[in-house]
Amino acid sequence: MMEMSESLEKLRNRILSDARLKADEIIREASQKADQIRNEAREKAEREASEILARAEAEAEAARRSIISSRIRANRLKLLEERNKIVQSVLTDVEERLSTVATTGNFQEVVKRLATESIDAIGSDHATLKIGFPKTSRDKFNLPADALPRGATVVYDEKLAEELGGVVASDSEGKIAYRNTFRARLDRLDRELLTLVSSTIFGEQRPGQREEVEATSA
Amino acid sequence: MSGIDAVKKIVETEEEARRIVEDARQRAQQIISQASKEAEGVREQVLADARRRREEMLTRAREEAEKEAMESERETEKLIENYHRAFDERKNDAVRKAVELVLQK
Repeated sequence: MMEMSESLEKLRNRILSDARLKADEIIREASQKADQIRNEAREKAEREASEILARAEAEAEAARRSIISSRIRANRLKLLEERNKIVQSVLTDVEERLSTVATTGNFQEVVKRLATESIDAIGSDHATLKIGFPKTSRDKFNLPADALPRGATVVYDEKLAEELGGVVASDSEGKIAYRNTFRARLDRLDRELLTLVSSTIFGEQRPGQREEVEATSA
Repeated sequence: MSGIDAVKKIVETEEEARRIVEDARQRAQQIISQASKEAEGVREQVLADARRRREEMLTRAREEAEKEAMESERETEKLIENYHRAFDERKNDAVRKAVELVLQK
């Protein structure tokens, strides 16, 4: 009877011991799985974080470039506008000066030159020459006899004063005309005048030169 | 101890053993569940940190760009002052040359 009781106790202990071992194994495996879950989650999050930061670096650089380039563009535009204002101011003074050319000492010489050029341009000996200048009247024009071809006819046209003054030559049939008013000359010389005024005022420096260098290096 | 008692004892022991294993399984489930929660917490923490650093980087980049832009603006203002000075000094010369060009060319 004693032996049976001992055997039973051993069997009980064995059953419980196996159960505890199995329980320990379950817990151990669960702990390993838990570590794995945590590690994998951390690694995945760190990968995502790296991607976020890599994108952020690119975004930051793009934002920096965008801010700088837009401000540099605005500054360059400001400089160009300022230069343009200055050049236009000079050209306004030039127009003002041209509109008063009739009051200067070399007026006759100027008229003669304009007239000769116009007649040469249309290539006719029987040209009609309209002449008109601000601040003057028809009796002001005493062109020298050798200033015009013999066949040329001179007509005073006060409307030309609206174009700052000048002459318009046309052939006898009125088919060919050459406008040699100051307004027409200003238009023809537009680029040359802009270059001349700009280089006289600003020297050789191009507008926004420094900004262009910055924009290139940015 | 009778045979019936012995069988009873063994049945009771096996029941206890099942409970031990079942408790372990429940505990294991809790451990994994807890680990999943912690993992999510870690993930959120790491990503939140990354997002915070992203915002810092963007803010810093914008601030630095603003500084550079301000420097460019100061230089622009200087250039504009120089333009005005040049205009005051050379305007008459420019007008004279332009008038000469129009009259003579």
